[in-house]
Formats: sequence, C-alpha cells, structure tokens
Amino acid sequence: MLRLRRVVAGYGGSAVLQGVDLTCEPGSITCVVGPNGAGKSTVLRVVSGLLRVTEGEVTMGEETISSFPPDEILRRGVTQVPQSHALFPSMTVRENVLMGGFLIRRDKSLLASRMAAVEALVPLVAERSNDRAGNLSGGQRRMVEIARCLMLAPKVMLLDEPSLGLDPRSLAAVAELINRLHDDGVTVLLVEQNVRLGLGLATHGVVMEGGKVRLTGSAREVMDHPEIASLYLGGTRATTAGTTADPAARAHPPA
Amino acid sequence: MTELLQALILGLLIGGVYALMASGLSLIFGVMNIINVAQGAFLILVAMFTWWLWKSTGVDPILASVVTTPLMFGFGWVLYRTVISRIRGSSTSMSVLLTFGLALTIEGALNVTAGNKFRSATPSYFEESYHLGSISLPKPQVYGFVAAVLVLSALYVVLAHTWAGRAIRASAQNPSGAALVGVGATSTAALAFALGTSTAGVGGSVLSVLYPFFPASHYDWISRLLGIIVLGGMGSLPGALAGALVLGLAETLTATYWSLRWSTLVFYLVILVVLLFRPQGIFGTRLREDVVA
Ligand SMILES: Nc1ncnc2c1ncn2[C@@H]1O[C@H](COP(=O)(O)OP(=O)(O)O)[C@@H](O)[C@H]1O
Ligand SMILES: [Mg+2]
Repeated sequence: MLRLRRVVAGYGGSAVLQGVDLTCEPGSITCVVGPNGAGKSTVLRVVSGLLRVTEGEVTMGEETISSFPPDEILRRGVTQVPQSHALFPSMTVRENVLMGGFLIRRDKSLLASRMAAVEALVPLVAERSNDRAGNLSGGQRRMVEIARCLMLAPKVMLLDEPSLGLDPRSLAAVAELINRLHDDGVTVLLVEQNVRLGLGLATHGVVMEGGKVRLTGSAREVMDHPEIASLYLGGTRATTAGTTADPAARAHPPA
Repeated sequence: MTELLQALILGLLIGGVYALMASGLSLIFGVMNIINVAQGAFLILVAMFTWWLWKSTGVDPILASVVTTPLMFGFGWVLYRTVISRIRGSSTSMSVLLTFGLALTIEGALNVTAGNKFRSATPSYFEESYHLGSISLPKPQVYGFVAAVLVLSALYVVLAHTWAGRAIRASAQNPSGAALVGVGATSTAALAFALGTSTAGVGGSVLSVLYPFFPASHYDWISRLLGIIVLGGMGSLPGALAGALVLGLAETLTATYWSLRWSTLVFYLVILVVLLFRPQGIFGTRLREDVVA
C-alpha cells in the first residue's frame, strides 16, 4: 500500500503541497483530478522522489520511501510516466525501452525476458524498434513511455495525464494498457485532466485543489459528487447518463 | 592535380587530429552544458609531459598516449568530483569562468616548471614520409591520424554500445528522463567529463610531435577547438568531426594555394559564412528538448 501522510513539498521555498493525505490500495487505480496548478503532478514527483518532501512522509508497505533518492524508489518498483518529454528523442524506440531496464542492466537474461514481455504487451515497441523516438506521434510516444516503465515490472505506476494530446484511437490504446496493468495487479496512481476518462478507468478518485486533497472516495462516488459534476463535467451529467445508462447519474443531478 | 590531391589528403589527416581534440570538448558540452575552455591547457599539459617522457626515456611520443590517456581519464574524473561538480546547475558562463581559471592555473604551473619556450618532440621519423605515387604523406601526420581514428572509434563504441555510453547519451538528451530510469546524474557527468578529458591524453601526445608548443599555446588551441564545435553544432559529435575536417581542409588548401599565414583566418571566415546561413552549425539540431517531469 502506498500512502502519503501530511506531505508538504514545493519548489524553492513556497509549499505547493500543503499537507496531502492520500492512500492507494494495492492493485487499485487511483485517479487524481483537480484544476491546473492544484499540485497533482507535484504529488507524483514526490512519490517518485524527483521532489523532496519538506514535511510528512511517503510510505510503501512498512517502508518510508520519501527519504530515498529516485533510483532507490525505482528499485522498490515505483515508476513514473511524466506529463511530457520523458523519452530520449535521438535514441531508437528499442533503446528507449531498454533504458527502462537500466537498473537491471547487469542481469542480461532478465533484461531479455522483460524486453520480450514488453514487446508482447506493447506491439509498437517491436514494430517501430529502430525508429527514433523523436519521430513518433504523441500517442506512440505515450505507449513507449509506458512500455519503458514496464521493464522494471513495477508494483506502482505513476501516470501523469496519459491522455494529454492524444487522438481517440491512441486514447483507447492507452486506456486498454492501463486496464491490462490493473488486471496484472499493478497499483496505478493516475492524474487526469480528462475527468470522465480518468475516473471511468479508476477504482478510486481523489480531488485536489490548492495543494490539498478536497475529496476522496470510490471513483463512482467522486464522479457522482454534485460539485465535481458541476466543476469538471460541465454540470450536465444528463449527457453521459444517456450514453452510459447510469442510473446513479440520474439520481444525483447537478446542484 | 597532384597538388590538389596532396592538399586534400593532408587536410584530411590534420582534420582527423583536430576532430580528436575537439571531440572531448563537444562531449562535455553535449552532456553537461559545460564549455571546458581548459581543454586547450589539458592538451598543452599532456604535450609537455609527453615531451619530457620522450626526452628522458626515448619513449615514442605518440605511443605515449597509451599512458597519457588513462592518466587524463583519472585526472578528469577527480577534477569533476572535486571542482567541476560544484557548479552543477549553474549557467554555462559560470563553467567558462571556472575552466578559464583552471587553464590559467595550468599555464602558470607550466611556465614555472617548464619555462616559457617553444618545444617539440622530434622522434626519428619526424621528417620522414610515406610515398603514394607522387603524393607524400608525412609519417607524424599519418600516425597522429591513425591514433585519432582509433580513439574516435573507441569513443563511438563506448557511446553507442555500452550502458555507460547509453547513460551518457540519455543524460545529454533528457536529464530528467534519465533520472526517471535511475541514471545517476553525478556519476554520469563525472564519467562524461573523464572521457572528454581523456581525449586530451591522445590529443596532447600527438600534438607534441605535430606542432611546436609553449605554455601559452593553449589560447590558440582552444580558439580553434571552439571554432570547430561551433561550426559543427555545439555538443554534436558528428558535428565536431565535420567541423574539424573543414578546418583541416581550409588550412591545407589555403596554405597550398595562397599562404600559410592566411589559413587560420580562412577557417574563421568559413565559420562566419556557415553560421550566417546555419546559426545552429552544420549538425546542430535541438537535441535537448525542454523537459518537464
Ligand atoms: N518546476 C517548478 N518550479 C516551480 N514551481 C512549479 C514547478 N512545477 C510546478 N510548479 C508550481 O506548483 C504548482 C502545482 O503545479 P503542478 O503540480 O504541476 O500542478 P498540476 O499538475 O495540478 O497542474 C503550480 O502553481 C506550479 O506553478
Ligand atoms: Mg500537471
């Protein structure tokens, strides 16, 4: 179980996160939503160790990981796909994915078997293996970024707005991949601007605002919360009610 | 015709040696955004050491690079860990200030210990040449070129096919992306700096035979090397290669058809013209994307 307790963190003095409490059950998909600048990406950076906490702690199981450098956190199976520009543009797709296994580079057979598993799960990796990553489309890049994380067979995956800038087909592919990870028991902590997509995929939802957690619950509860509906879903839950045939949506019209 | 061919081949040989000397500068800039203006002083330091080794033991100066290269690798590594790493995250101009100070220190130390006079290592083959038909290839130039090709090939293999090389390229292309896969920034930077510095080992040993030098010669060398990597595209190794060949050819062609005294000027004119049309240099692309993790 991944848990943030009263986490305070920021960039150069000013605290962006002002006491964040958040729990991810093992095997869950937790989706964090909230307005721009709420501190969603900052939460992921704190978990992966790219940003230090100034107060509070991040624990995984019994262990406090917030004092570790990023590579130690990575070794414990926590990988991150950032919001943008994660790849090495001049390297080939294959090399990019291979770099995901940097920490297991000494174990050649493990590296090879992981590579084969990743190619099976994300066919694009084999199909475009010799293309430079910088020449891929946004959707393809996302797939390669996720594939790269899989080289470490992660326990926890942190995904920062995976839908950003993707066309509908790429979006479906990414969503399918996230579902596959979920089926394999990977814990996913997801940040999404596309609230419908994110909460639709997720088991749990978290709403952040101004560096604080405003609301937590099951994805369903969060999605149906009247305030969320009016804030992020345009206040017209009825439009989805028709397509998703969701009785709960009708039961709770926007406030 | 023979004259032209002779000039072209000589230009190629000299260009290869320039490429060797510029490669380290380019590598260090590409990975760390550090402009190591002490690279010229490193060359002269090694040339002086090689000259002394040759003078006192008779060891072949170019073969001495087998010793000077690992020495410079170690020197670069220690220097990064103790001094250069302190300016990590500072601006590029800070690195110029720091390494300029380093260059002055080395120049001063050489002035005190070796004296301010011209030297040149002159092994037995110093004035001999190979002959291909009517074309003559000076042996020192040929050996220097061979050493350059060996080192540049080794550098290529390390960068392209080893994990250390992948880590270096990853850090150069996307520092935060490299951190995300567990590449340690400090150890990778130290390695890149050491590799870049080690090229001054071979470079300096070769220089001791090919060019007379004295402690302040490093100004001359660093301006040429900077010219080469600006022409090629800052931080691009293929660019350094191309820039070096252009300089080598510009020099020999000008010397053959005009006058030796104009050859360096012609090189800077070439830079000026190329940069007018391609401000990013011959191979300059934007390797480094703006990165947001
Ligand atoms: N690298 C940074 N340096 C300084 N401030 C930053 C940096 N990244 C984000 N911030 C600030 O932190 C706040 C939260 O940012 P972020 O976590 O990226 O928000 P979100 O992902 O929810 O849109 C914003 O006010 C943003 O301006
Ligand atoms: Mg964000």
